[in-house]
Amino acid sequence: MKYAVIKKEDLNLWVKHLMKKAKLYAPKRKENLFVFRQVKDASEICLSYIPTILPPKKYYFPQKEKLLKFNINPFLTSKAIEGFEDFILFAVHTCDIAGIQCMDVVFRDGPEDPNYLNRKDKMTIIGIECLQYCDEHANCVSMGNHVPRGGYDLMMIELSEKFILHINSEKGEKLVSSLDYIKEADEKDMISLERLREAKKKMFKEEFSGSLPEIYEVFDKRFNSSVWKDIAKQCVACGNCTAVCPTCYCFDVIDEVELSLNKGTRYRMWNSCLMDDFAKVAGGEDFRKGRDARQRHRYYRKFKYPVDKFNRYFCTGCGRCTRSCMAGIKLVETVNSLLKEP
Amino acid sequence: MKKQPKPRVAFFDFTDCEGCQLQIANMGTTLLELTQLVDIVKFREIMSEEAEDYDIAIIEGAISTDNDVKRIKKIREKAKVLITLGACAAIGGVNGIKNRTSLEIAKQRVYGDMAGSINTINAMPVHKVVNVDYIINGCPVYLPEVISVFKCLLMGKPYVVPNYPVCAECKMNENVCRYEKDEECLGPVTRAGCNSWCINNGNKCYGCRGLLENPPIDAAKDILLKYGLTLEEVLGRFTLYNDSMGEKYDKEFK
Amino acid sequence: MIDREILLEKLKISPYKPIKAKIIQAYMLTDKEKFLRIELERKINLGHEPGQFVMVSIFGFTEAPISICSSPTDKGFFDLTVRNAGVLTNKLHQMEKGDTLGIRGPFGKGFPVDNMFGYDLLIVAGGLGIVPLRSLIRYIIHNRNDFGNVQLLLGCKTPQELLFKKEIKEWLKRAEVNVNCTVDKADSEWQGNVGLITTLIPGVDINPARTYAVVVGPPIMYKFVIVKLLEKKIPDYQIIVSLERRMRCGLGKCGHCQIEGVYVCQSGPVFTYADLKNFKGECHEKTA
Repeated sequence: MKYAVIKKEDLNLWVKHLMKKAKLYAPKRKENLFVFRQVKDASEICLSYIPTILPPKKYYFPQKEKLLKFNINPFLTSKAIEGFEDFILFAVHTCDIAGIQCMDVVFRDGPEDPNYLNRKDKMTIIGIECLQYCDEHANCVSMGNHVPRGGYDLMMIELSEKFILHINSEKGEKLVSSLDYIKEADEKDMISLERLREAKKKMFKEEFSGSLPEIYEVFDKRFNSSVWKDIAKQCVACGNCTAVCPTCYCFDVIDEVELSLNKGTRYRMWNSCLMDDFAKVAGGEDFRKGRDARQRHRYYRKFKYPVDKFNRYFCTGCGRCTRSCMAGIKLVETVNSLLKEP
Repeated sequence: MKKQPKPRVAFFDFTDCEGCQLQIANMGTTLLELTQLVDIVKFREIMSEEAEDYDIAIIEGAISTDNDVKRIKKIREKAKVLITLGACAAIGGVNGIKNRTSLEIAKQRVYGDMAGSINTINAMPVHKVVNVDYIINGCPVYLPEVISVFKCLLMGKPYVVPNYPVCAECKMNENVCRYEKDEECLGPVTRAGCNSWCINNGNKCYGCRGLLENPPIDAAKDILLKYGLTLEEVLGRFTLYNDSMGEKYDKEFK
Repeated sequence: MIDREILLEKLKISPYKPIKAKIIQAYMLTDKEKFLRIELERKINLGHEPGQFVMVSIFGFTEAPISICSSPTDKGFFDLTVRNAGVLTNKLHQMEKGDTLGIRGPFGKGFPVDNMFGYDLLIVAGGLGIVPLRSLIRYIIHNRNDFGNVQLLLGCKTPQELLFKKEIKEWLKRAEVNVNCTVDKADSEWQGNVGLITTLIPGVDINPARTYAVVVGPPIMYKFVIVKLLEKKIPDYQIIVSLERRMRCGLGKCGHCQIEGVYVCQSGPVFTYADLKNFKGECHEKTA
């Protein structure tokens, strides 16, 4: 079975079934925005949502992650996490799935990161295809992430009264097989899917004024562009854009000791290249001074450096950095003004 | 580990509301755990005994009289380690508001006819008068941070107050940004370390932990103005807690 | 090498897990720098290249990247020299012989010694730069016949700050390395040069095509020294530098040590000047 269908009225049944298999994390409303949270009931899930405040990266690359447990005297170390839990990410947008693929590349690149890979191993991804733009900040079409491009176990695509499920892995297959309310898709369903994709083409348009290779080239040339100075004037260096980015993975290492002052845990914590001390060494030298250089670095880590290193753009087009910037720095505008520069 | 006598801790208050000490008194079992490591010898909120000898002095409150200056200097002489507890001691706190006017007007406003007999000076954070070893920010102090500072002290290492804004912690907590709801918030220019305590609980940031070392004032001002605040209002927000250190920010703003 | 396998096996458990190590010697070299000789558990050899670094771990104080200043030919132990500059190094300064700490590594790319075989060497060390360079110089001395003429230009602020004084005298006495020393500020006993290290370069006698220049020092020093070396007609790829950055993980992940797209902890800390030339503007050490 490659494509299956489930009636909308049976969705709750299926969600209940999934919750029995593993912890289920899905988009929920939080005030006027959305967040991924563990859900206990299908009614909590919001299938139509603009990208959540934090991407699902908090589940496979947590904000504060235990690296090891230690004992100061005598010197002992032990595993910080004994077993990793199975979990399902439900209704993940295709842009966020692209984010997961980027992180895979990073943490698989030697030396491999066992924490990430262990978590990833326990993760099942059920995506949902967006049929319309979430808002004006996304640039998923230019990044090629507005349609499913793999990296998931199941992909849900909404048709009028049912969902088509694209089965993309054995793990995914297991979650839909032998359930009487999930059936193989028939020819009519496939035609509907094709029509839907056609309709999508008319609605979704490239957001950048140039192609990705052009953008890469422009980044190669515009290291000293005045655009970076302009952004720096607006930037408050709050670090929102890096925290909410599905492909930002910089971290700091911290030790926390218990009150015994002998036992403790070493953690890694999200860190941001926009922070003042990020590139400062103990001797006092700051190797990336100024908010212009720091913002430039953030952009280059999306459009230039990972392309050189992994042959992959690290912008997913989710639009979170723009959405979360209180100063109104807009990624699409930045890239377009670089493209416009003579 | 070698058995060493437990360091003796004494609490002192200056110009403050004693709310930060109350936070510590309310720490519960953690306070008992802490007493395994230190001896509390003076803490008027929880005990009636008072010792004259101590190793660690914990200071709550701003310095705002000549007498305060003398007293803090004496404490400093005696203490091996001096810790400031809370916004008043760390940055002057709300006491700094009086520095906005002349001392005469301030006295008149508060004490009316009695103003003549009042001795007062501009409110100052403790570090303006004596050397401070550990700073605990906040109004009130954030207990997990208090415990971290104690651990650092007992391990003999400095406690570094984060020099990044509250936003960094706030985003990790996945709060809806106050600006998203068209409310202003001092998170972007205020030092983190409180785990965005106020915003987690539905409030906004009032800047009680003091401004960042290198605050992006221009950008922050733009944002606040964008959200419909006047320059006076912006200044007002910035200086609720930071007035006694206000010169720096006045300079940045005007 | 069997030791290497033990190390790799350990890393497989978690690259964040430090190996237990013991301080077997500790003394102050100057007022500010402490020398530490370290032995890994089971006396495993670190198996490093000259110029690599380790992450020194003290539980409760996290980790810091420290250059290894002994040669891989010094077996059974390795040496570190640390200045008291941060939280961890301050704690290191309080530690004594017999104390335990954790080690991860070695990390990064060391000096290209294999390429230097048969070449003359012009080593330029400013301030603490002599620390990582000591690993190279000891390696050269232990394999003295593999290298040509070796000249060391050494600079620091005052004669009191000069590191490895005794050892350097020894090198000179045995005529293994030619040493030329300069200080910014002399005292009455000083007999060497006074002035910046760059002033020593024009006078050295080298055959540029057959010479590798190796430069390590404070960030500000590089551009001035490199200019002088280029004037001497040493090719870009024979000018070797080692750069200081804020390594936090050593694994090319955490991002702190990046110069543009390059993770210094993995691709460095040793680079050629030809490498530096590829940077667009984030490398402080590059000439303007």
